[in-house]
This record gives sequence, C-alpha cells and structure tokens, in this order.
Amino acid sequence: MTSKIMTVFTFAILVLQPFSGAAAEKVYVYNWTEYIPEAVLEQFTEETGIKVIYTTYDSNETMYAKLKLIQGEGYDLVFPSTYFVSKMSREGMLQPIDQALIPNMKELDPSVMDKPFDPGNRYSVPYMWGSTGIAVNTDVIPVKNVTSWKDLWNKEYKDQLLLQDDMREVFHMALKIKGYSSNSRTPREIEEAYQLLKELMPNVLLFNSDSPRLPYLAGEVNVGMIWNGEAWMAQQENPAIAYVYPSEGANFWADSFVIPAGAKNRENAHKFINFMLRPDIAKICVEENGFATPVLKALPLLSEDVRKSETIFPPAAIVKAGEFQTDVGDALPVYQMYWEKLRSGN
Amino acid sequence: MKNKVQLFSISLISGWVMLFGGAPLLLLLITSFLKQHPEKFYQFSFSVQSYFQLIDPAYLDIFLRSVRLAGLTMLFCLIFGYPFAWFTGRLQQHFRAAMLIMLMIPFWTNSLVRTYAVRMILGTHGLLNKALLAVGITESPIRFMYTDSAVVLGLIYLMLPFMILPLYANIEKFDYRLVEAARDLGAGPLQTFSSVVFPLTLPGILAGCIMVFVPTMGLFYVATLLGGARNLLVGNLIQHQFLVSHNWPLGSAMSVILILMMAAMLALYWLVLRRFSARGQVYHA
Amino acid sequence: MHKSLLLYFATIFIFLYLPIGVLVLNSFNLNRYGMHWDGFTLQWFSAMVRNHGLMEAARNSLLVALSSASLATFIGALGAVGMYLYRFKGQQILKGTLLSMLMIPDIILAIAFLVLFILLGVSLGFWSLLLAHITFCLPFAVMTVFARLQGFDPFLLDAARDLGASESQVLSRIVLPLLRPALLASWLLSFTLSLDDVIVSSFVTGPSFDVLPLKIFSMVKVGVKPEVNALATLMIGVSIVFVIISQSLIKEKKR
Repeated sequence: MTSKIMTVFTFAILVLQPFSGAAAEKVYVYNWTEYIPEAVLEQFTEETGIKVIYTTYDSNETMYAKLKLIQGEGYDLVFPSTYFVSKMSREGMLQPIDQALIPNMKELDPSVMDKPFDPGNRYSVPYMWGSTGIAVNTDVIPVKNVTSWKDLWNKEYKDQLLLQDDMREVFHMALKIKGYSSNSRTPREIEEAYQLLKELMPNVLLFNSDSPRLPYLAGEVNVGMIWNGEAWMAQQENPAIAYVYPSEGANFWADSFVIPAGAKNRENAHKFINFMLRPDIAKICVEENGFATPVLKALPLLSEDVRKSETIFPPAAIVKAGEFQTDVGDALPVYQMYWEKLRSGN
Repeated sequence: MKNKVQLFSISLISGWVMLFGGAPLLLLLITSFLKQHPEKFYQFSFSVQSYFQLIDPAYLDIFLRSVRLAGLTMLFCLIFGYPFAWFTGRLQQHFRAAMLIMLMIPFWTNSLVRTYAVRMILGTHGLLNKALLAVGITESPIRFMYTDSAVVLGLIYLMLPFMILPLYANIEKFDYRLVEAARDLGAGPLQTFSSVVFPLTLPGILAGCIMVFVPTMGLFYVATLLGGARNLLVGNLIQHQFLVSHNWPLGSAMSVILILMMAAMLALYWLVLRRFSARGQVYHA
Repeated sequence: MHKSLLLYFATIFIFLYLPIGVLVLNSFNLNRYGMHWDGFTLQWFSAMVRNHGLMEAARNSLLVALSSASLATFIGALGAVGMYLYRFKGQQILKGTLLSMLMIPDIILAIAFLVLFILLGVSLGFWSLLLAHITFCLPFAVMTVFARLQGFDPFLLDAARDLGASESQVLSRIVLPLLRPALLASWLLSFTLSLDDVIVSSFVTGPSFDVLPLKIFSMVKVGVKPEVNALATLMIGVSIVFVIISQSLIKEKKR
C-alpha cells in the first residue's frame, strides 16, 4: 500500500512541477492593497502577453523590509510614497528609469514632475496622488460635529476611531494641530506630536490601511481617518459616508512607480508603467480607485460625477490649506521610534 | 551493512536538526546581542541594549496581556474540552473514532479561512448580532469585533482540538474501574473526580495546556483579523519588529525571552510529572 | 444526565461547525456579502477557478505540502528507527532538541529561519519554504513513528538477525511493514501542517512563490471574498473524501 501511495505522490509532484516553472514573460508587481483594478491587470496581459504576478502590502515600511530581505531581487515594480522614494534611492535600492521606454511620461502633469524627492524623475514616475482626511458616517454622527483633526480627540469617541496604519499620516494630524509642518524634521516637534497622539490612543479602535473603507461600510466604525479614494469607493456603496477635509489641512501624498535595483524583468516593468499611464487605463484607475491621476489626457475621458467630485479632485483652496508629504531625511528614525511607541501602547 | 544504515539514518536526522533547528536558534540568540542599524536591520557589534529596551513597561504590558489571553484560551479549551475527551473515552470503540473524526474535520480547513468565518459571525451586521436582534435580547447591534473577547474566541476555535487530543490519549488509557472502586468506597462524584480522576489525567491536562498555550502566544494573524488597535499579542510585536520597525536585535531579544518562558513552562511540566509519577509508585506499593 | 450530555456534545459541534457551515452556505449564495440568502449559484466556484493568482498559489502550496510531507516522513521515520535501534552519543541531546522544536512558537521558528536563510544566502522562494516546512514537520514525524516503535517487540528484530537477515532486510521486511500506519499518520499530519502554515511561510517565501495561506490572508484582509468561501468549501469536501477513504482503508485492513 505504501509503495502505491508513494507512486501517486511522485506522480502528483511531477504533474505539479511544470506549472510553477513555466517560462512565460512575467512582471512581478508589489503594490498597495487595492490600488490597481483587476480588469486593468488582465487587459495588460491580454495586450502584451506578459503575465502579472501581483502581491500587495499595507505600509511603506513592510514593502521596504520585504525588499531588503530579498535583496531587491524578485520584484520588478513597487509603489513607494515620496519620502520612501528618496530613502530607497539614497540607499541604492532602485535602478534608474529609462524614460525613452515610457513615451507616455511626456504627457504627465508638469506640476507633479521633477520634485525634490527625486530631481529629474531619475528613479520614479508618478502613479497617483490623493489625500488623507476624515470619514464620517452621517447616518450616525452629524457631519458638522467633525470638521477638524482636533475633533477626533473628542472624548465621546472612545474606542470608536479608525486610523490609517501609516506613520506619516498619523503624525500629520498632530503636527498640524500643533501648528507645525507635517514634514517637520525637528525632534522636539515630533515628540510634542507624539505626546498629543498618546492622548488620542484611547479613542482608537483599530489601525487599517489595507482597505479602510470596509470597517466603515460594515458599520464597525463611524468616524476616523481615510484616504480620499477609499472614501470615494465607500460612497458608491453607502452615500451616507462623507469625506471631510479637516480645517487644519489635509495630508496630500503621491505614490510613484519605481524599479528595484535587482529587478529581473526590467523591460516588462517599463512596459507596464507606460501601459498604466495611457489615458484610457488611467481613466479606469481613477474611476475605480477614486484617486487623482497625473495623466492629463485622462481627465476629459472621466465621467461627469468623477471629474466634478471634490473628494477626488480637491478645489485649489483645499490643496493650498493642506500640506504635501515630502522627505524628512534624518528625522525618519525619530518618527519611527515614536510610531513604535505609539503602536505598542506606550 | 549495519553501520551504513546506522550511520545514514542517524547522521541525516542529526545533521538536519543541527543545521535547520539548532543553527537558526543560535543565530537568533546572537542577533539579540547585536546593535540596531537603520538600513541593514542589525550591525555587528556586541550590545545588550535590546534587553534593556525590553524592560519598557509597554512591552511588558503586551507580554502580560498575551499571557493572559493565552491563559484564558487555555482555560476555556480545558473547560470545554475535558468533558468531550472524557465522555468520548467512555463511548464504544467505533463511536469514539466517529467523534474524533467529527472533531478533526473542521481543522482540515485552512485556519485563516476559519478565523475569517468567525469574523463573519461576530461582525456588527454578522450572524450573532442578527440572531440577538431577532430574539430581542438587544436593541442595537453589539460590537464584538476588535475586542479581547473576539481574539480569545477565535483562539479557542482554532486551538480546541489541541487540548482535546492529548487529553483523550490520556483518558483512553484510564481504567474506569478505579472510578467504580472509589464510588463503592463511598466517595461522592466530586471527591472521586478530585482524588482519583483528576490526578490520573493530570499528565493529559498538562500536555493539552502546553499544546494550546505555546502556539497561542505567537498566532499573530488572529489578533490581526479579530483584534483592534490595542489587542496586540507578542506575536504581533515580534512581527512588527521585523517587518515594520526594522529592528532585528529587539525582535530577536523578544523571541529569546519567549523561548525562556516556554522552557520554564516545560520545566514545570516535567517537575509536576515527576512528582506525580513518584506518587503513583507509592500508590502501587 | 443523558440528555444534558447530548446537549453538551451538540453545543461543541455547533461551535465547531457553525462558522464553516456559514462559509459553505455562502459559497453557494448569490448575495456577494453573505448578508442574506439571495439564491443558489455556482458562480463563485468559477470565479475561483478563473482567479489565476489563487490557483497558482494553490498549486504551489500543494507542491510544497506534498514534497515536505514526504521528505519529513522519510527523514523522520529513518531517524526514529535509528534512534530506536541504536545507542549513540548525543542521542539525548537530539531527542531534547526535537522535543523543544515542538515547543517553540511558530513565529520564532519563522524569524530564526529567516535569519539563517539571509545569512546563508538562500533566496526566498520554493527552496527556503521547503526546507522550513520539512524542519517544522520533522519533530511531529519523529514522534509519531517513535511512538509506534515503542509498542514493538524487540525480539522480533533479533530473531530476524539470528536467522541471517541483513540490516537492510530487517528494515525493509520487518520494520517498514510494521510502521505503515505510523508512516501514513505522520505523512498526513505533516501534509496538514504544511498546507495550513501561515506564520512561517509569511517570513520565508519570496515574490516568485506565493502560497495559498498568504494569498488567502491578503484576500480576506480586504473584506468578504466569495472565491475564498468557494475554496474553503472545496477543501472541506476534499478532506471529507480523504477521511472516508482512509477509514475504508483501515476497515479493509481489519478484515
């Protein structure tokens, strides 16, 4: 009997083997959870024959740790936020982008190009940008009760809030309330922000930056932080969920395509970037994910309600009141230290 | 020929255990005495700073909370599992097998999927709240999710068979005539249990408790899926050190402490077992 | 007394089966969120099959589970036999190490493997996963086989040797047949452990080799996924079939 069983297993192993080692063209994409619609990935494979191996992360830190662990080999494309683009390029973890391979790059909004975190877009190409503000379920909490970050500190919301599981975004709130820049590099200011956040912790029910809209939709939380795109997606299912730009200023951020230094499928990665920047594709991404795109030619293609949505495309005054997330240089470990303390309940 | 077989079988397993069992743990110990490095996770210079960092009350808190949650899980598993093992052991042979198979079938399903199923039941609009609302026990949905209770419930759900199986293995060998003898000698049910059944099944109880307690301390995904911002377990903390804070020495130091804790529990187990078997010999004499 | 006992067993089984019952039911439910019953459908099963990532992860997981269960059983059984038949230096240490490996939480094994693989330069993927899985299955395999060996009559082996059997003949003609049930048990246990492992896999695999538990983890973190329900139903179905087959095998043997 044993020998029969062994034969079956040997056979099974042999049958399974070829699937894992197929030598088709591939591109390994490591991205934020729910950041590219599945249909877009399928279309890419259909058009180019390149298979997309897609895995996800929920924070810049996790992505960075994983990339370091595999010594940059294995992933062909990742999507760090601005300040991680500079950190990773400084540490030699990225390879330069060949702009000649991405013709669609010329069509991008010049106002998001050539930023201090990556002068001349040597290592990065902008993918999407958005904001972090406040979500309120207006069926439960009147929207006038929550107009500022400070309002989240209200003792009434004990064990009620959802915060993004993102260091910089959480510190943004407290730095703004204190009247500092959310890109502060001053340890004293960061510590003050930490002290303020400590007072917020009793109100915090959970951290989530996989898909923060779900706890709102499930009725688990009714107020807290959210990304504008997630708020947009939530509104499609429950219009009672409002997105509020806090009076102290929302947090604005951008994520970029970068190619890790050890990437094996360099050419495919470039093809993928170029594909994603095509107006018709960018349009799908905006409409599905609710984040803004730097692809200018995609804007006229958008449906009316998307183009006019202030959740996705904030008015100039709101952008001006907010602050754009940039590199904090040497202060990053300081943030990390206080974030660690905050998360472990210190 | 004998030597060849002997050499091969023994050196294969010894080599494997040393290379993949001993060496990694040794490396972990070494890493815990290194210094943190912001870019490379660790740097090669001796330091005990990680252990000093661990004295931090916040970490102590999480350790204690994990012990409490794991302890609660263990206790509930014992309370629910002991009667199951006991009465199954009293059944006829083929009923016993059926019971054990019935017990094991859910555990052939991926544990993550089962945790997620628990989440579907506990949610604000989940099955449990629906039932409570329908019966009229509550007016508005109760929040079960993101609490310690949800985490413990999920852990019990995952760990129950790990309590029942060792218990059953022990109880199966139990000679039921001892209970009858005790009853004949005038012992009440409680006394029979406390002075006959309990001491004789103690090894099974301890084995089950360890089988539940140990893995529970590290099951980070249950806390991730069912717990909230403040329901972290030691497992989450260690994972955080490696994947978010990039502090390998601190994460390693936490692991070393956890291993020491487990070793202490194991030592306790042997101690009790030895005393118990010594007493057993006195009984026989 | 009898009624309350029945009630108790019923409660335990409801506790065990309710969550997976909900899963199974929802895998046939037209309503995507499983909030209420909207009608019968098989669409989630076809969605599952069409989900390439999920299918590839399932194949990878199966491959790792089959290989690691077989290798762990082989190494473990051989080791158990060696430890049973022969006395050698360091035997107690070996036994102690194996036992303590059983007692180490997965999270610690996971990071210890990670540290080792990074240091050795083993790239994270199939091989690192396989080595790790064999290692954490090994103590279970050794214990299962060793337990069976202890119920043996050692004179059987001496008798065979006296009758002129070589050492390998002793192994293949006497020890192996007697060990069959233990080998099967050890293999099944290792297979289950490997297939279900989340913690170790999440640390030691790389981008090129996604496995089922990790894929499921990333899927269920973003809410209700009917494909996962369908997959769970399939897995429960397969395991029930497995149980029935193994039961009938045991019965056949008894006859």
